[in-house]
Amino acid sequence: MHRFLYSPTGFLATLVGEVAGSFSPVLLMFGFAIVATAPALILSRMIAPRRRSNPVKFLPMECGQVPSGEGRTHFMMQYYAYVLMFVVFDVMSIFLYAWGSTLLNLPKSATLPIIAFLGIMFASFAFSLYQSGRRNIW
Amino acid sequence: MSSIAPEFRLSRFVASLTDIIFWVVVIFTLIGLPIVLILLFYIQLPVINDKLLTPYLALTWLADPSRTLPIVKSLIHTDFFRITTFPGFGFAALLAAGTIFIERKLLAKMQLRVGPLYCGKIEGILQLMGDGLKLISKEIIIPAKADKPIFWAAPLLFVGTAAAFISLIPVAPGWVVADVDVGLLAVFAVIGFFPIITLLSSWSANSKFPFIGGIRALHQMVSFEIPLILSLLGIVILAGTLNLTEIVESQQHYWWIIFMPIGAIVFFTTILAELERIPFDLPEAESEIVAGWLTEFSGMMYGLVQLGSYLKLYAFAALFTVLFLGGWNGPMVWPPFPQEIITEGIKMGPITLHVPGLPLLDQEMLNGTLWFTIKTVGVILVILIPRGVFPRIRIDLLLHTGWYKLIGLSFVNIFIALTLVYAGVLGPGGLIQ
Repeated sequence: MHRFLYSPTGFLATLVGEVAGSFSPVLLMFGFAIVATAPALILSRMIAPRRRSNPVKFLPMECGQVPSGEGRTHFMMQYYAYVLMFVVFDVMSIFLYAWGSTLLNLPKSATLPIIAFLGIMFASFAFSLYQSGRRNIW
Repeated sequence: MSSIAPEFRLSRFVASLTDIIFWVVVIFTLIGLPIVLILLFYIQLPVINDKLLTPYLALTWLADPSRTLPIVKSLIHTDFFRITTFPGFGFAALLAAGTIFIERKLLAKMQLRVGPLYCGKIEGILQLMGDGLKLISKEIIIPAKADKPIFWAAPLLFVGTAAAFISLIPVAPGWVVADVDVGLLAVFAVIGFFPIITLLSSWSANSKFPFIGGIRALHQMVSFEIPLILSLLGIVILAGTLNLTEIVESQQHYWWIIFMPIGAIVFFTTILAELERIPFDLPEAESEIVAGWLTEFSGMMYGLVQLGSYLKLYAFAALFTVLFLGGWNGPMVWPPFPQEIITEGIKMGPITLHVPGLPLLDQEMLNGTLWFTIKTVGVILVILIPRGVFPRIRIDLLLHTGWYKLIGLSFVNIFIALTLVYAGVLGPGGLIQ
């Protein structure tokens, strides 16, 4: 048996390709939207006027002033602590779905460890929010 | 009001029209027909009744009135029709176009203005078409030193991602473009692309205002993605599945909004933030940073971004309907197809017309689509109304709302769902089935 070809989803083994194949309409729809709307850009390029009368026209918009400095400047990443928290807690909240979608099939005793996990998650939320609220260390 | 140009000559106009027609015919004959023939050479055509179904034969059969409807019926159930027309792009684009018109009229009425009035005789109903013609005939200006490939691709990617989101939404029983086992996770995956496209386009524009807008979009996504994900966990716990079609089927008797109003409120707030609508429209705050990340887009590129954002609006409203408002479920109000027409045909005086294969779409699908559309339009209206009422909130208040309040409320929602399961109210063997 080619076991690597089958993924154990539910009682009936399904081909891995079938699972991946169910996503193909998403890609087709993505492609169709691009194919259907790209002609609008091409048509616009064909019928709209194109005049290179003045180099000022192609300067970035700065409310009528002559732009100063580079467009892609160094910038101050404000609220950086929240971005760090996002990286951790986004993954944690997605992991909860693996438990949530099978909860009705699990024995009731399996919920206690998850409640503990939720408690750890909540406590770490509180601690990191407290740390990110401290203005003097950021 | 515009008038005809003074140097206008009708003869020259007609001559230019014939000129255009001549060149179109020439180009189609020399390039279009060979391309069609080459494509036909590689496409494997089906054999029906021992005959190869060439396009010529298909068109002949389509003209035969006894075969037209069955052929149309078989076309309706192809993937191509689903992607292009019904649960896919065409349906969503139609609703999005209606949304734009309704939004402009509604906001005008809320602010004691008139709104679009001149274009089209009735209440400016052709305003959108006029705007489209204006946008398509405007020059596209790309700032110097911009990263051109990414800058050109950003509007297309935005529309494409919105369409990929739409493909996951079930509209009527069996009518969904992509019926994925883990539909909800696929939705999260697709939603995650929007801020990346925003940030890419704003970085590639080489301009300061788009860049500030892009950074703000990133912060907004960072603070509202986690409440969005956690607020839907309660539904997944109670429905026991991630497939959106099965989630709709689980709401046959009770909508989830009855058991989880807190989750619905949190999800609705995060919808407003993900759509960058007031009060969370910081990435394109007109009064602060010109137009935010849309500042450097001009002409049709701006039009495509707007199309994408309204497709996204439809998709989020439809997702709210599917998850909380019971999707297509509703009382059967669509009248059944009259049986006499199937058995006896349509009688018009002395003539009796027999049309085989007539109920083109079954009653359940039409009824489901009706209820789904009514609910989705209601949700869209509720999403539109805050724009006429609320001011914009500050970015530190936005982060505070997302991280402190919404996440706390979504944890409360998870515990409500767990209580409903373990108190024996819902789930297998519960009081309410």
